[in-house]
Amino acid sequence: MAKEIVKTLCRMCDNRCGMHVFLEEGKVTGVEGNPDHPWNWGRLCSKGKAAPDIINAPDRILKPLKKTPQGWQEIGLEQALDEIADKIRQIQAQYGKRAMSAWKGEALGFNQEEEMVRRFCHAIGTPNYFSNDSQCFVCRYMAYRFLYGTGAYPFPDYANAKCIVIWGANPPAAHPFMTRMVMEGKQNGARIVAVDPRLSMIARQAHDFIPILPGTDGALALGLIKILTEKGWYDHDFVEKHAYGFEELQSYAARFDLDYVEEETGVSREAIEKLALLLYKSSPHVSIYIGNGTEHHVNGVNNSRAIASLIGLLGALDRKGGSRVLEGAGVRDMTLYEEIPLSHLDPIGADKFPVLYDQRHECHTMTAMDAILSGDPYPLRGMILTGANPASTNPNVAKVKKALASLDLFVVRELFMTETAELAHYILPSATFMERTEVFCHAPIHLLNLTPKVFSLPEVQDGYDFWHDLAHRLGAGEYFPWKDAEELNAWLLEPTGYTVEDLRAHPEGIVYQPHRYEKWKEAPLATPTGKVEFFSTYLKDFGMKGLPEYVSPSYKADPEHPFVLTTGARKLLFVHSRYHNIPRFHEACPEADLEMHPDDAAELAIADGERVSIESKIGAVEMKVRIVAENEIIRGCVHGIHSFIRDNVNEITIDSENDPISGFPLLKSIAVKIRKIKGEGSTPHQPD
Amino acid sequence: MKIITINPDICVGCGNCEYACANEQKGNFDIKNSWIRVNFYPADRVCIPWNCAQCEDAWCMRVCPAGAISRDPKTGAVLIDEGLCAGCKMCMLACPYGSIHFDLEAAVSRKCDLCGGDPQCVRACLSGALQFVEVDRAYEFRRRQFDNVLRAMPGIAKQDGEER
Repeated sequence: MAKEIVKTLCRMCDNRCGMHVFLEEGKVTGVEGNPDHPWNWGRLCSKGKAAPDIINAPDRILKPLKKTPQGWQEIGLEQALDEIADKIRQIQAQYGKRAMSAWKGEALGFNQEEEMVRRFCHAIGTPNYFSNDSQCFVCRYMAYRFLYGTGAYPFPDYANAKCIVIWGANPPAAHPFMTRMVMEGKQNGARIVAVDPRLSMIARQAHDFIPILPGTDGALALGLIKILTEKGWYDHDFVEKHAYGFEELQSYAARFDLDYVEEETGVSREAIEKLALLLYKSSPHVSIYIGNGTEHHVNGVNNSRAIASLIGLLGALDRKGGSRVLEGAGVRDMTLYEEIPLSHLDPIGADKFPVLYDQRHECHTMTAMDAILSGDPYPLRGMILTGANPASTNPNVAKVKKALASLDLFVVRELFMTETAELAHYILPSATFMERTEVFCHAPIHLLNLTPKVFSLPEVQDGYDFWHDLAHRLGAGEYFPWKDAEELNAWLLEPTGYTVEDLRAHPEGIVYQPHRYEKWKEAPLATPTGKVEFFSTYLKDFGMKGLPEYVSPSYKADPEHPFVLTTGARKLLFVHSRYHNIPRFHEACPEADLEMHPDDAAELAIADGERVSIESKIGAVEMKVRIVAENEIIRGCVHGIHSFIRDNVNEITIDSENDPISGFPLLKSIAVKIRKIKGEGSTPHQPD
Repeated sequence: MKIITINPDICVGCGNCEYACANEQKGNFDIKNSWIRVNFYPADRVCIPWNCAQCEDAWCMRVCPAGAISRDPKTGAVLIDEGLCAGCKMCMLACPYGSIHFDLEAAVSRKCDLCGGDPQCVRACLSGALQFVEVDRAYEFRRRQFDNVLRAMPGIAKQDGEER
């Protein structure tokens, strides 16, 4: 039988590259990059190439499972949904509506799924919506939002930049598509700067690699601001007309004496001065990308805010070769915050991290674990979790497991038996990206796409059908009036001026809006003052510091734990805890590793490949050491890969110390000590 | 005729090309099955994704006593016929670039065959360091890079009023 080709977008990670799916007799037999899709022009990374391994995996969960004293039992989908709905009713009757919660991960869906889950929470009257956003992305989102009033954060105009700064990010492993954009900028003549404690893949191609101590990014940024403002190396006209709080920022930055900055960050005075001059000479064509690396620190938001301030100072905001303010396609929002306010119901964590809740309506996952275990501030007894694996990816996984296992109802929608699914009462099989249809925007290129349902399996629901069916059983069907995802898509697209049919006819997407620069000339920014807020009036109103004030990371003052552990960098083949169950991926990269500087290893007499014990204040984990080259990691810093099946560094990451604004855990600022294990020899590590 | 070009100025050494080749050759992601190899030298921060150049005067072909090596008239790739290959490894010795590998299972020499005209390493290359281009357009990026140097020189570019 001939191969049929269906065009869709890959969803092995969030980059969503254009993909051709080969179907033979309804079965996915292979994939390749779509050569005509403007996002990836036919290129596809190894994860994308292995999509059929996930779709057709022998260990995929394809029947609803119920946990019984005898173990997992297959049950019918309708029965599973009935039983779950009954239990939700019981919990809400006994403990109140807010005793139920839902958690959206990214293993199944993304934006569209998130809105469905939020809508469901409203429909059943609970404020307790959780997601990975308690520890990812939102910190930078807020930094940009406070400064520039943006929704999606300003995206670097790499191709036209004279200088590109990649700060705490490694696109080849985390945002594959961006690698080519950065390198296109390089080929067009941009100077590339990488700021990172590790020599990331992207740093290999930087003209200037600036190794920095974890969490000290804010000090470096403020040192740069001091030089730029003292020398007058900023966009006077833009700042005067379009910025608020310049004088305050200038006088605060003036305290950042370069000797102090050098001492604090580990970056030499010469390197700081050189970077400042480069930024000035390249301005306003300076593209700055801030990655996840700046987020997981006690001052994550303010570090990111200090760095992002450079964009406004240099006049690079929405300028050609600077940071473009993206425009949306106008796709409808599914959430009901306007219709049914929930904040009066004490969303979990909103008291501790009010900015996180106010900005994102995000309840704090780490606080939730304490709430579940203690019943304080009120009982949280049920959770429906979709495509997330916090028992592997949240900090302090031992507490996560204990908390989730103690729930009265824990339902997990998943493809596989994950560490988290094992704790559930019910596991429901779920559609992969090929078994559902959804609207997706590639915001950086203003491209609107619709992915088709390539095939479907019996009793394997897509997100919409699941939330729809459950809401209808709970008497909240009015909030899910669309028959199926197709009808929902039509409704979502209405305001865009494009129809489902238009998008079906354009499988490579439709550019909904040409790029426009300098939109601030036409309309005020969406900040409280309508200007760039170097001093955030919003944060001040929340009783917080209006300036991005710097706080030195606490690991520096912990002589008991002389190393700083950073976590979160990715291996090419995995996305957090995902894909370790693909046998050929596991074989290619079987073991977690701890990267260490050769001089640190020599001092502790640790050999390459030796297992060591790493201890933080909450516990210890053993990992295999990979001694890297001298310039691949800063001295005194180790990097532990997270969420491998064995030796998960999240055994020792800390859930209870957080950035006060974002609530993020300090996943890259952990004070640890490293101990040799007696009698442990070394076995060489496998290549990446 | 198309050739694979490499650009060490933008290769980040991510290894997707090696995985893609291993996947194409053996259906796994074990990079010892990859014919393309990326060498990374941390001290100099240099990444070189090196593959068979499909030499016009291919020494491997000249030296092969079994006459197992020939050229694909369609793609220009230098091919090893595994039915004829005696496993003597002379081609490995002859190749000045180390681009011929030995397959222990099949006991024959192996090398890049350009995947029959759609090299998978290029399809997996995210930085754009690998390109599969018509030979008359090869290394255009070098000319572009040089142009950029000239364009940045004072007096060459027509300034648009933002001179510093």
